[in-house]
Amino acid sequence: MERVTLNANNESQKKEPLVLGIDTGGTYTDGVLLEYNTHKILATHKSLTTKRDFAIGIENVIAEIDIEDPSAIQMVSVSTTLATNAIAEGKGKRVALFLIGYDPDLIDSFQLSDRFATPNFHYISGGHDLHGHEKEELDLSGLLSKVDEIKRRVDAIAISSYFSPRNPEHEIRAQKAVSSVCELPIVLGHQLSTKLGSVERATTAALNASLLAVLQEFIIAVRRAMEHRGIEAPLMVVRGDGTLMNDEFAARTPVETIHSGPAASAIGGRFLSQKQNALVIDVGGTTTDFALIQDGKVTISEKGATAAGYQTAVKAADLLSIGLGGDSYITTDRKNEIVIGPERVVPLAYLSHQYPNVKQRLQALTKRSWPAPSPAELEYWFLQREIEDESGFSNREMDLIHLLESGPKPVKKLLEKMDVLDQSQLNIQDLWREEILGKSGFTPTDILHIEGLHTPWDMEASQASLTVFCNYLSMEKEAFLKFIWDEIAKKIASAVVHFLTEKKIPGDEVENENLGKWFLTNSLFPHHPHLETSIQLRDSIVGIGAPAQVMIQQAADILNTELILPDHYAVANATGAVAGSVMVTEEVLIYPHLSGDKVDVIGYYVQSREERSEYEALESALENAKQQGEEKARSAALRSGADNPQVVVDVHQEGMDTYRITAKAVGKPRLEV
Amino acid sequence: MELIRVDTKHAYKILREKITSLELKPGQALDIGRLANQLEIAQTSVKEALRLLAHDHLVEAPPRGLYVAELHLDDLKKISGIRLRLETYSAQEAAQHRTPDDLVILTSLCEKKAEDTRELFELDHKFHQAIAQAAHNNYLANTLEHFYGLSKRLWYLALPYLDFLPTAVESHIKLVEAIEEKEGEAAGEIMHTHISDFYQKIKRIITERDLMGSAG
Repeated sequence: MERVTLNANNESQKKEPLVLGIDTGGTYTDGVLLEYNTHKILATHKSLTTKRDFAIGIENVIAEIDIEDPSAIQMVSVSTTLATNAIAEGKGKRVALFLIGYDPDLIDSFQLSDRFATPNFHYISGGHDLHGHEKEELDLSGLLSKVDEIKRRVDAIAISSYFSPRNPEHEIRAQKAVSSVCELPIVLGHQLSTKLGSVERATTAALNASLLAVLQEFIIAVRRAMEHRGIEAPLMVVRGDGTLMNDEFAARTPVETIHSGPAASAIGGRFLSQKQNALVIDVGGTTTDFALIQDGKVTISEKGATAAGYQTAVKAADLLSIGLGGDSYITTDRKNEIVIGPERVVPLAYLSHQYPNVKQRLQALTKRSWPAPSPAELEYWFLQREIEDESGFSNREMDLIHLLESGPKPVKKLLEKMDVLDQSQLNIQDLWREEILGKSGFTPTDILHIEGLHTPWDMEASQASLTVFCNYLSMEKEAFLKFIWDEIAKKIASAVVHFLTEKKIPGDEVENENLGKWFLTNSLFPHHPHLETSIQLRDSIVGIGAPAQVMIQQAADILNTELILPDHYAVANATGAVAGSVMVTEEVLIYPHLSGDKVDVIGYYVQSREERSEYEALESALENAKQQGEEKARSAALRSGADNPQVVVDVHQEGMDTYRITAKAVGKPRLEV
Repeated sequence: MELIRVDTKHAYKILREKITSLELKPGQALDIGRLANQLEIAQTSVKEALRLLAHDHLVEAPPRGLYVAELHLDDLKKISGIRLRLETYSAQEAAQHRTPDDLVILTSLCEKKAEDTRELFELDHKFHQAIAQAAHNNYLANTLEHFYGLSKRLWYLALPYLDFLPTAVESHIKLVEAIEEKEGEAAGEIMHTHISDFYQKIKRIITERDLMGSAG
């Protein structure tokens, strides 16, 4: 008998497109697999971030996320702190920056030269004025001889010309000439920023140049990991404002990925909570990040993104990040006061879970009563990975590595064995930076174990550590825990006010300084016996990140608002990586063509990134500029991976006869190869 | 190349250099899996890069497998014949259409000193590219670029026996002078002699030393 199966139902059911979002944070790399249209989360994955090579953590997520048929994935999107980190740690490539028409005396007198993000900068005569007129002839042969001098010592070249957004001619001519004599990649200022700030534009160009190779390597590694899992799909990268661009664009404008991690978190918070207005607080392992959602969008900073103190002209979400997270180090300082963060360590619960004899030692410490062991004795060092080659290390470093080969050791013991009094005598910064050495200590995560709120690892180790603290400080356990939670709530509530007012919040010790400070302090941390003041946050707080529930509730209470914890709030950041839209903004400028004596307007220039044309009448200039902007934005959005982008054109008058036309093309990411 | 994947571009660049510098030998079989592992690049991209190189006539794709394109003595004649005419034309056009910027670039290239043979190659390549740029005809520039790539392998083959490069650099200086003076005919002649001298010497070395084996 033949069996006939009726599965018309199955056949008519079209396969839902699947997308994979990945977020690399300071501590964890999170992955989330999601049905794109229904927003249904199918699988999540967490792996430890490897700072020395972010691609490793991402490869782990791609290799291990739970999916039967990886080829069904139609888009992979990544938010990454790669760029921010590379800048902060000086891992970018070597860049020579050419400043055309910049005034060296001006730069010197305002001490602006250390803002350029590269010590290797050179002045070349040339440049234009505010009206796009040539200020001085471009010294092309001077430029080329300088290039010849430095080309063997750099990996990329950045060029920024004075008033290039008004007239990029000198940048373009310089690029042609430089690319005729060497193979180095070249970045032009006007292609990254249409704003007039000449220093920020130069900084942006230099940073972008230093990151080109970094991001290219990263993309190649992610692509390779995708292939190993059989995923053939577009690869997107999140920008600092939370929108997406495909890997092609990202490889050319890596500077735009600054702050992409926190921006993705904010977008993920909105996506999961469905809130149009909210304050999103993302508690990670290392930091807590704040961002504001207004009318369904992440608010953008007017000033441009800052990375490692360098002010750029790149658009990024308005963010605040503080050094407080689930793995913040809790210890005592020299005055025996309890401090929380900003250093991030491995929780003792986790270390003991990996190395059970750590727990036995911690428990032994609780029995030593006189003198009571100090919290400093809870700090353990351990080897994070084996080293391949001993040659790059000093004898001291090798001694330390050998001591740790048998397992984690309390730092106190290590210092004794190494015969030094203080850690600073060891000179082992490289071992930390290269993530060879790891540090473990007491953290909020340990407290979550003690309170039974989150207990994946060894709770008894956390408990023993708590006893050590309490014995040393002669405190009751409940009082100690309450103190820690109060401190965390204060830090978060203060940060919220700081973020929204851009004013630093004083600590509670300055109550008498003036009425304003007193009022605010009393509102956040009530201390007056008779006067009650309070402060209220209008928006709800959307909490995301694994420790969010416990760490934010009290802060929300102080701010008299509700805390919303959407489903899957622990991986909202990775969700944000796929929830963003693809967006491209093109700007076209209109400014007058003035007569020689600069009195009469004889026409209007229409200046886009690539070209400049001239019109007699303002109306036709405006008409043409709008059309150009719209076309350029749409085609760039398509190339950048948008599906059916919609364009909105805005005209903004900037001054006399001067207009900025902004065309924004936005679309959902295209989900096919 | 704008629509080509980042990793494909990267693979293309590396593989093209390996083939034109004879690190990958003419006729050598190309194993995609092994190349991908070596370069740490996704296989799809390596495959795509090889397809682009096949389009450049640097890789051959018979029904089975992929190979670095063979190199025959015949090729020398064919390639040099085309380059001789196109480079001459390029020099003539450059003399007509060069801008002040082009002259600055050409002069700067003439003044450069190479530190080793590879740099000298680079420099010569840049010089010919700059002339094509000065001609302001992008079709010409693209075509010349294609033939330069093919020609480079012959050059590398003869490299260990070459000793005439300084004179070639001298003719570069004369050529720039002619272009500056807008003397198209003179520029064409200098280029013609420059290129034909070069190929004659290469041919002599390759045939005398039988560098392509009896099969060539």
